[in-house]
Amino acid sequence: MDSVLHLVAGFTLDFSSLPQQLVNGLVIGAIYALIALGYTMVYGVLRLINFAHGEVFMLGAYTALLTSYTMGFTPELVKKGVMQGHPLTSSPFNLVILILASMAVCAVIGAVIEFLAYRPMRNQSRIAALITAIGVSLFLQYGGQLFLPANPPPSVVQEVNPFQGVINHSFRKAVIAQDGSVTSPAIELTVTQGKVIMLVTVVVLMGLLTYLVMYTRAGRAMRAASHDFDSASLMGVNVNRVVTFTFMLGSALAGAGAMMLATFEGTPLQPFYGLLPGVKAFVAAVLGGIGNIPGAVLGGIVMGLAETLVVWLGFSQYKDAVAFVILIFVLLLKPGGLLGSDKVEKV
Amino acid sequence: MSLGKILGVRAVSVVVTVLLCIGAEVLLKQLIRDDYYLRLFFLAGVYVTLSVSLNLINGITGQFSIGHAAFYMVGAYAAGLSSNALFAKQPLDMPAYLVVSTVIGAAAAAVAGLIVGLPSLRLKGDYLAVVTLGFGEILRITMQNQEQWGGSYGYNLDNKYRSIALVFMLAILCIAVCRNLLKSVHGLPFLAVREDEVAAQAMGINLTKTKVVAFVVGAAFAGAAGALFAHETQFINPDLFKMDVSFLILTMVVLGGTGSITGSTIAAVCLFMIPEMGRIAKFQVSQAMLVSLLVVGIGAMVYAVRYVQNRVHLEKGPQAMAFAGAVFVPLTLATVVGKILERFTILGDKVYESADIRLMILAVVLLVVMLIRPTGLLGHHEFSWDGVRRLFKGRASHQEAA
Repeated sequence: MDSVLHLVAGFTLDFSSLPQQLVNGLVIGAIYALIALGYTMVYGVLRLINFAHGEVFMLGAYTALLTSYTMGFTPELVKKGVMQGHPLTSSPFNLVILILASMAVCAVIGAVIEFLAYRPMRNQSRIAALITAIGVSLFLQYGGQLFLPANPPPSVVQEVNPFQGVINHSFRKAVIAQDGSVTSPAIELTVTQGKVIMLVTVVVLMGLLTYLVMYTRAGRAMRAASHDFDSASLMGVNVNRVVTFTFMLGSALAGAGAMMLATFEGTPLQPFYGLLPGVKAFVAAVLGGIGNIPGAVLGGIVMGLAETLVVWLGFSQYKDAVAFVILIFVLLLKPGGLLGSDKVEKV
Repeated sequence: MSLGKILGVRAVSVVVTVLLCIGAEVLLKQLIRDDYYLRLFFLAGVYVTLSVSLNLINGITGQFSIGHAAFYMVGAYAAGLSSNALFAKQPLDMPAYLVVSTVIGAAAAAVAGLIVGLPSLRLKGDYLAVVTLGFGEILRITMQNQEQWGGSYGYNLDNKYRSIALVFMLAILCIAVCRNLLKSVHGLPFLAVREDEVAAQAMGINLTKTKVVAFVVGAAFAGAAGALFAHETQFINPDLFKMDVSFLILTMVVLGGTGSITGSTIAAVCLFMIPEMGRIAKFQVSQAMLVSLLVVGIGAMVYAVRYVQNRVHLEKGPQAMAFAGAVFVPLTLATVVGKILERFTILGDKVYESADIRLMILAVVLLVVMLIRPTGLLGHHEFSWDGVRRLFKGRASHQEAA
C-alpha cells in the first residue's frame, strides 16, 4: 500500500500505474495528433472544418481490414487458428503493405471528397461549407452502414501484425514509510511492441510532413495559400492543386493512424468508428490553435494524456467529456488555442 | 392605432390561434387513427420549434452555435423530473400539468443557455461553434452518469401525454416571438450583431446583452420543445440528444436559409419527413440501382445544375426549364444505367429496403440542396402575402429583394 496515496476517503490514487498510463496516453495522443494534422492543414488553407475527416479515418481502418482479407487473412482461416505459423504472419512487410494501402486509399478519397463536395462551396458562406462537410460525413457513415461489413472480427487485422510481443520493464523507487523503514516497490511498465511501432511511425510521419511543408516547393505553396489564399493565387500558386494536395496529405495521415489503431489496438470496426476519434482530434486541433501544425501535435498529445489521466483518476465514464472541458478552459483563457495567435480585430 | 386597439388585436389573434390549434388537434385525431402518423405531426411541431429557436441564435444573431440538442435535453430532463415529482400521483385529464412542466423545462434550459452563453460569448465563429458543441457533449455525458436519473439507460416518465395542440402552439409562439423581434426595434440589435459586431458595438449596442438574450430565448424554446417531447415518448435517455441531433437542427436552419424563419419552418418539416418517408413508402432498391443513382445520378446532376447556374445566362423562364432539365435528365439517365447494371448483376443481387437507406437519402438530399443552392431554400427571404401577390402579378422580382 506504500504506493497508494489516500487523498480523500474512498478516493485512492495508485501511483505505481501512473507511468503506464502516461505511456498509453502518449501513444493514443500521438494518433490523435496524426488525425488532428488533417483538420488543421485543411483549416489552415481553406478555413473549413472538415467534419468528414473522421469518416476518412474510418475508411482507412476498413481499407486495412479489406487489404488484409485480400492478402489471405480471411476470417475463416483466423477462426480455425491456421494463421499461427503461417508464412504470411511472420512478415513485417504485411504492415508496410497495409499502411501504404490505407494511406493511398484515404488520400484518393480525400481528394475525391474535396473535388466533388468542397470545391463547389469554395466561394460560398462558411456555414454552407460546414453543412456540406456534415452532409459528406453523414453520407459516408450511412453509406458505410450499407456497403461495409459491420462488426467484422477485429482479430483479422491483428493477425497481420507479427509484433505481438510485450516489452516489460520494472524499475524500483525508494519509499520511506512513516516508521522510517525504506522499501523499494517495483513499478511495472508494460509496453506492447505495437505501441512502440506506432509511436515511431507517428514520429517518422511527422518528420516527413515537416520536411514536406518546410523544405519542398509543394510545402511552400501550401504555406503561401494558408497565409493568404487570394494573394497566393495571384502570385502564381495553383491553389486548386494546393488544396487537393493538402486534402490528400491530411487524409493519408488519418489513414495511417486508422491502420495502426486497427492493427495494434484491435478496436472493433463499424461504420461509426471514426466519429469519436474524429471529434477528439478536431478538439485537439482547436486546442493547439487550429491552422497551426505544431499546435495540432501538442493538442493531440495533451488530449491523449488528459484522457488516460482521467481514467487513472477513476472517472473513466467521463473520458470523452474531458476533451471538451480542457478545450473550453483553454479557449476561454486563450481564445486562439495554445499555440495560435489571438487576432485583434481592427475596424 | 392606439395601444388598446393593438392589445385588442393581439388578444384576439392569440385566442384565435389557440382555438385553431385545439381544433387542429381534434380534427387530426378524428381523421388519423394511426398513432404513428399522429406522432409525426407532433414531431413536426417539435422540430419546427427547435429549428426556429436555433435560427434566432444562429441565423438572426449570427452566433455560430451547434450544441442546440443540449438545451433540448435539459428541457426534457427538467420537465421529466419535475413532472414525476409533482404530478405523478395526480393524473389530470387536462394538459394543465403539461404546461407547468413545459414552463419548468423552458426555465431550466434558459438557465443552461445563460451558463453556456455568458462565458462563450468571448469567442466567435468556429471557436464558438466548437465550444457550444463541447458544452452540449459535456452536459450529455454528465447526464449519462447520473445514476439517480437513469444514467445511460434512461429515465421513465410516469405521465404520458401527447398534446398536438400544445406543440403547435409552442411552434407558433416561437415563430411569433422571432418574427415580432425582427419586425420591431428590439430585433434590430440582433441583426446588427450578425452583420458586424464591431460596428454594432460602435453604434452603442450592448453586445453581451444581445447575444445572451438570443441564447437564453433560443435555449428556452428548445427546452420547452424537449419538455413536450419527453412527455410524448415517456422515456428519455441521453442518447436521444446526441451531436447528430444538433447537426440535424443546424442543417434545418442552413437549409431553410440562415435568418429566414419561414425557411427554417419549411426545412424543419421537410428534413424531418425525409427519413420518415423511407419508413412509410416501403420501396425496394437493388444494389445496382442504388450505386448508379448515387454515382452517376448525383454526380451528373450536380455538374449539370452548376453548369446551368454559372455558364448559361437565360431569362427566368428558360432558366427554370433548364434547371428542371438539369435535375431530371441525370436522374433518368442514372435510372437507365441502373436498369442496365441490374441486367448484368455485376454488383450482385442484393436488394435494400427503403427503411435501410432512409438516412442515406437524408444525407444525399442535404448534399444536393447544399451544392445546388448554398444559400438555403429561401436565402434571407421571408414569406409574405405581398410577396405572393407580386409573384402572381408577375412583377419584376428585384423589388422583392432588399
